[in-house]
Amino acid sequence: MTEITAELPKPAVVRDVPVDLSKLSRVGARPPFLDYLVQLWDFRQFIYYDARARVQSGTRRDKLGSAWLILNPVFNGMTYFLVFGLLLKTSKGIPNFISYLVIGIFMFQITSGAIVSGARSMQQNKALVQGFSFPRAALPIGVNVRELLANIPLIIAMLLIILVVPPVEPISWRWLLLVPVLALQFIFNLGIGLILARIISRVNDVTHLLPFTLRLLMYMSAVFYSLDRFSNHPTIYWLMQANPMFLIIDITRDAVMYGVTPSWHSWAMLSAWASIALIVGMLFFWKAEESYVRG
Amino acid sequence: MSAADELARLTADPCVVADNVAMKYQVISTEEQTEVPRFGWKILQRFTPRPNTVTVHALNRLSLVVRRGESVGIIGRNGSGKSTLMKLVSGQVRPTGGAIHASSTPIMLGVNAALVPELSGDQNVVLGCLAMGLSRDEIDARFDEIVEVSGLEKSIHLPMKSYSSGMGSRLRFAIAACGNPEILLVDEALNTGDAQFAARSKRRMDELREKAGCVLLVSHSLDTIKDMTGRVVWLDKGDLIMDGNPKDVTKKYMEFTNHLARGNNISAHGLRADVMASLEVANVVNQRGGDRSFTAAG
Ligand SMILES: Nc1ncnc2c1ncn2[C@@H]1O[C@H](COP(=O)(O)OP(=O)(O)OP(=O)(O)O)[C@@H](O)[C@H]1O
Ligand SMILES: [Mg+2]
Repeated sequence: MTEITAELPKPAVVRDVPVDLSKLSRVGARPPFLDYLVQLWDFRQFIYYDARARVQSGTRRDKLGSAWLILNPVFNGMTYFLVFGLLLKTSKGIPNFISYLVIGIFMFQITSGAIVSGARSMQQNKALVQGFSFPRAALPIGVNVRELLANIPLIIAMLLIILVVPPVEPISWRWLLLVPVLALQFIFNLGIGLILARIISRVNDVTHLLPFTLRLLMYMSAVFYSLDRFSNHPTIYWLMQANPMFLIIDITRDAVMYGVTPSWHSWAMLSAWASIALIVGMLFFWKAEESYVRG
Repeated sequence: MSAADELARLTADPCVVADNVAMKYQVISTEEQTEVPRFGWKILQRFTPRPNTVTVHALNRLSLVVRRGESVGIIGRNGSGKSTLMKLVSGQVRPTGGAIHASSTPIMLGVNAALVPELSGDQNVVLGCLAMGLSRDEIDARFDEIVEVSGLEKSIHLPMKSYSSGMGSRLRFAIAACGNPEILLVDEALNTGDAQFAARSKRRMDELREKAGCVLLVSHSLDTIKDMTGRVVWLDKGDLIMDGNPKDVTKKYMEFTNHLARGNNISAHGLRADVMASLEVANVVNQRGGDRSFTAAG
């Protein structure tokens, strides 16, 4: 095909069309931050419906269905028990190792699952994002609510294991402290998910780094060893205690296993982590509101 | 009627204003570079992160004003920038130049296969309507009407990934239409439908226009365009070629494509140049009042 690249002809007339742009608004413009939050609140029904519908359909492909939500961390726990408890004996000095391990793994699983799905939420909902112009943060929030709903059986399973597997821990009022822990954990996961969702929508390569980072986080959160190992290394000890994942696990162990009220110090630190993550995540995500749809 | 009155009527109530919009894409091309690199360099190049990027000018500077009650057809060859224009108007993609202004949030009816493939048709209806900002009560009240418009009957309870392309577009049309959008954008979404669906969607679109909305419709079927629109815009390679009443524009476009089909490139481009030379280009002037749109910082 011969291509003819002639100069474009000049148009005959340039006609001025007066329009009153003050009655219109620019399409896709990012609203101010507070308006954005109000918009998100207006879309709360969308967020909740999205979350609920997907919990129901999530595991429909598997024969065992939602049982996998619990079987998955149980198998995980058995693997770690075999490797770290029986082979490597990191369980030394931990009285109720099974409960110790189960709390660590289940709580970690909640965070890692929520962060991974939050990070991928923009990519996996391209059709929705392209079709409608809702505030985009509704998707990462929806995914986190979905994870929360899906994790309810997981939490119940965790408590049952602690109650059934000897040595049995008694139920106390402190079990109620799980609620604020889960709330703070939810806020923390959401904040990190928002940050990652924006980064991944721009630089997809980060998805490849995510599993390694999460594994590193797990190894540093005293899931299958006791923090006392590092009691001679004050810097490491201090750093580990500042780790938000460790804080979540530690507070849960205190409340559920050891029957002690977690220190206010841990609560303060975890609250700081959660609120900083959420505020930074929201602002960071909102900044790129206009650029989440590409092709 | 005086000329001033005429002008006042024309300037009244624009729905969509495209002010000098342009769109370029940066993409990776596998086309061989002209200078052949040395052997060692070639291997290195395989591993460099960004091979050979080229700029695609999908849409050159273009202004367009669509008024209330108008329904505008957009035609052009493959790759001429029709879908790009729709994506810009719907706010899916941010233009690399200029801006789009609209009187309310446009709703886009595209060809993407499914909203959420794992969810059933009725769940997608609720989700889609919630995403347009309708409340749960409004949706419940209108649910039967949506299912009726889609004509899907029992299949509404099946997962959307099991739908045929025509069934998918029926459902998407029903969802988009139930929001009573002021601005409806349709990108070839009606092509896979059967005759019954075509009649139904035409009726629904006429209703929407009567409610003082406007419709932008992309289609390769000139009959659909002539049937459903009152004004047609012809795009070619990102340029606006012609803007006028459906009969004239489709006639010229047919002539153009006939020339191309017969391999008559020279006469085709002659015709294109002639048509373009008699085009009236709009220059958007903000009449009064400040520009209310937020210019995003950063
Ligand atoms: N996401 C994208 N990235 C890079 N280039 C793109 C992208 N989308 C479109 N283009 C380019 O922009 C040009 C116009 O594409 P567009 O999809 O608007 O054409 P169209 O008129 O809708 O064609 P068709 O009739 O085939 O639907 C094409 O050259 C295409 O290659
Ligand atoms: Mg197209």
